[in-house]
Amino acid sequence: MKRFRLPLIALAASALIASCAGGPDGVDPGEVDPDGEIEPREISWLLSRPADGATIAIFEALAEEYAEEHPGFSLELITTPDRPSYIQKYETLAAAGKLPELFDTDATPFAQKLADQGQMMDVEALLQDMGLYDDYRENALDYQRFDDGSLHMIPFEFQLEFFWYNQALFDQAGVQVPASLDDFPQLCADLRAAGVTPIALNGTDQWPLERYIAYHPFRTAGPGYIQDLKRGEASLGDQAGRQAVEWIESLAEAECFDRGFSSTGYADAQALFTSGSAAMYNVGTWELASLATENLDAAVRDDVDFFTLPTVEGAVTAPNEYVVSSGIGMAVNADTYDPLVRDFLEFALAEYPGRYAATGALSPTTGVATAVPEDATERYRQAVAAADDLGEQLVMPWDTQLDPTANARLQQELVLLAQGNITADEFIATVDSTIQESAPKYFD
Amino acid sequence: MTTVASAPAPAARPGRPRRRRNVHPFRIATAVIVAAIVIVQVYPLAWLFMTSLKTEEDFVGGNPFALPTSISFDNYARAFSVGDLGMNIVNSLIVTLGASIAIVVFGMMAAYALQVLGFRGSKAVKGLFLLGIVVPVQIALVPLFIDYAEVGLLDTHLSMIIPLAGFAFPLSVYLFSSFFEYIPDSMYEAASLDGAGPYRIFLRITMPLSTNTIVTVVLVNSIFIWNDFIFGNTFVLSDDLKTIPLGLQNYIGAMGNVDWTATFAAVCVTVTPLLLVFLVLNRAMIYGLESGANKG
Amino acid sequence: MLPNRSRLSVLVFLLPPLLVYGVAVLLPIVQSLFLSLFHWDGITDMQFAGLDNYTRMFTGDDVFWTAFRNSLVYLVVCLVMQVGGALVVANLLTALNRGRELVKTLYLLPAVISTVAISFLFQRIYSENPEGLLNQVLDFFGLHGLTRPWLSDVDTVLVAVSLPEGWRFMGLYMVILYAALIAVPQELEEAARIDGASRWTVFAKVRFPYIRPVWITTIVMAATYTLRGFDIPFLLTNGGPGQSSELLTTYMYKQAFVGTDYGYASAVSVFIVVECLIAVALIFGLSGRKARA
Repeated sequence: MKRFRLPLIALAASALIASCAGGPDGVDPGEVDPDGEIEPREISWLLSRPADGATIAIFEALAEEYAEEHPGFSLELITTPDRPSYIQKYETLAAAGKLPELFDTDATPFAQKLADQGQMMDVEALLQDMGLYDDYRENALDYQRFDDGSLHMIPFEFQLEFFWYNQALFDQAGVQVPASLDDFPQLCADLRAAGVTPIALNGTDQWPLERYIAYHPFRTAGPGYIQDLKRGEASLGDQAGRQAVEWIESLAEAECFDRGFSSTGYADAQALFTSGSAAMYNVGTWELASLATENLDAAVRDDVDFFTLPTVEGAVTAPNEYVVSSGIGMAVNADTYDPLVRDFLEFALAEYPGRYAATGALSPTTGVATAVPEDATERYRQAVAAADDLGEQLVMPWDTQLDPTANARLQQELVLLAQGNITADEFIATVDSTIQESAPKYFD
Repeated sequence: MTTVASAPAPAARPGRPRRRRNVHPFRIATAVIVAAIVIVQVYPLAWLFMTSLKTEEDFVGGNPFALPTSISFDNYARAFSVGDLGMNIVNSLIVTLGASIAIVVFGMMAAYALQVLGFRGSKAVKGLFLLGIVVPVQIALVPLFIDYAEVGLLDTHLSMIIPLAGFAFPLSVYLFSSFFEYIPDSMYEAASLDGAGPYRIFLRITMPLSTNTIVTVVLVNSIFIWNDFIFGNTFVLSDDLKTIPLGLQNYIGAMGNVDWTATFAAVCVTVTPLLLVFLVLNRAMIYGLESGANKG
Repeated sequence: MLPNRSRLSVLVFLLPPLLVYGVAVLLPIVQSLFLSLFHWDGITDMQFAGLDNYTRMFTGDDVFWTAFRNSLVYLVVCLVMQVGGALVVANLLTALNRGRELVKTLYLLPAVISTVAISFLFQRIYSENPEGLLNQVLDFFGLHGLTRPWLSDVDTVLVAVSLPEGWRFMGLYMVILYAALIAVPQELEEAARIDGASRWTVFAKVRFPYIRPVWITTIVMAATYTLRGFDIPFLLTNGGPGQSSELLTTYMYKQAFVGTDYGYASAVSVFIVVECLIAVALIFGLSGRKARA
């Protein structure tokens, strides 16, 4: 294994190489219960989660408890919360064959390649062997699956995404919660007429706008559409795609987003909404603490409500099917998998959900109750309750689906489309040709 | 009504006192423009400190360019509680110091060999060194990472020091060569007549004379090294090796939400050591820059 | 050349730095040159590609050419500020009677601040909602028609991301040029003035020719640094909207770490190196001819 590095190394003309790969050779991805003694050592988890977040705090505590029983064990948590920096680091480590025991990744085509190389443990087999598989919400696991249905990442969170809106601003413009996605352009125009920014959007983060292009086809064609599109088997020029693109174009014409949305950051976009100057804000339950507790400015607290992804006429997906994610998942490196890694994971995964739910977040498992904080508003409870009333299908964010080259281009062109710099036809032509060129490199 | 430049300037020639016939409007316009540019150059730093004292509500809600409505040190408290700023500063000091020493020592040695000792093909070698000035560092990441992984250098201070020093090295060679060219040959000849060899001349003459250039090289490069993110992010994994720019990552929350006020508090804390050194040594640096570039 | 030197002493001084430099800089350059001849995603086996990456770059990639054009604009803006602006300011400074040292120090300050902070500051300055400093100033002067989100407007974004980089190091080049101006012999200027030369003529005929060599050095420094500029455009707009502020460096970075196409990214970086070399040669070539003329 790892012969892929040889040409580069050979060039480095260092003599020490050829034999090198080093370390234990690991196990077969399906071999989830390897023989042998548990030998405590230091293991690492390369992750991209907030440094002061619940997951890291819980795992630090769990590692300490485990180390009491197993002296010599320690867990090093290496976090890089900024996602682009994380991805650069993760890809560099992968290229050098130096990924640690545990590492975070989305179900991207890049990760799929790693899995194809046998570098990631089969998590479905792992969880089943531990007897934990049935505890997980199906949606949470589905979000982590690759296209072939295989599961190689463990989820640690569960998030539902809603359209948050400000009732007072809606009243001011005389508008109602939209029943259909196709109501958005008129809704925006009315809000604009009343002097209100319709939608706060943090364009610097790319993913929020990319959600919008995924909505329409999810309703009209179902979750299979992006699967076909990313392989180049569907075109954005097809009916479902064209409607989606023209929908974005109509949002641009109705000035749904601020002129400067593409250079607006996360905190600024949220502030636009929480300060009562924007009427809608599309964000997930990870922001419950800011939007549905007393942290929210008292001036807007009672006006803030949410609705879920509207549907369209003739939709093939149900209203209770929308964007549900279980966040970036954790992969288990097959090269370094051994009885210790398994034993620690078995301990930690059993303990984690209860402690995580106690922090007020939604666990990726069922059977633990989320502790709603004392200063929560009614919306908090509603959001938590919504998690137990979900359909089977979910909107997969396109940024985890498209190959990276096509995704980067689509993100760029989408901004231009939403700013009104290009037309729907130009958008379709550019993105289609990019996918045609790049998809074969990833999906063969 | 003429005044000589107020600060005694040992390096530069004294300001020209003979400007009596200058028309005043020009003089005034000059002063105004210079002052305006001073404001443009200093304002960001002031803004940084000001923002770090704002409360979060003040920061997101208010005019970002207004003075804080109330002064709050909460951001500093948060900055220190979330990250390990102290450790980050120590690591940045180690890396900056290590790289600076390497840059100065090797830069001087190379420049001495090229400029003072001289040899056939020295022009070509100098060209090779200068090539480093034109290479974008990003592309070295993957090859370097693989090389370092092979020799076990990953996740050490050295893994940051080596590339940082390497890529800063060309400018250092250039500045030292320019300066050495300026040391009169007669000094070397005299020393040679006294029987001093190349090593003694290096230690006794070249090195002591180079103080200002050393300070310049160190300061100019420290600025880049102190703020380097890309090498640190690539080569360092453990928390206890993280430098300041990596530590600033700790204030990034879910999905890209950044705690900006805490970040700025941390930036203010971490920019201070650099700023102090810079203010104390800046005269030497300005002199070094002037002579380094001008005698080249 | 030192009379008493030996071959050994040259080696003693030259070898250690050459070794470090070779390992830290030259080796990865050669490796990436090598990589540019392959297709490699970092995971699967490398495939020899010959000149495929280069052919694609020159003939089949519209973004590459956009990025190239943007890089040139970026270069021009930064050069105008860092070398042109610095020259003007340095000249003004020589006319100042007091406080020169202090002013020089203050001008150098922006170089100390990390690019993360600088980018965030400029994002605020250019912003429209909340209203940034630039738009506030325009509004104040009644120029409401000009206000816009400077970083979202495809027509203004490129210049907007170039300015911070130009501004950041202006002080550095100013200090260098100032020192050169101070070194211009007084007698020359006095003589010209007695002949009744205007301020401009003194500058154009006496001062500037005298400092030309230094000026060339600063241009080379500024040009090579700028062509490799990365942080601020990357942090401010990440090349957007669309490809409006994409530079070759940000494009290369994305090819490597977003597209995991290390071979192609290497080809782009080889191009950047060549581009820098050509720029340096051009600067020297043009200035050399002028000086002789």
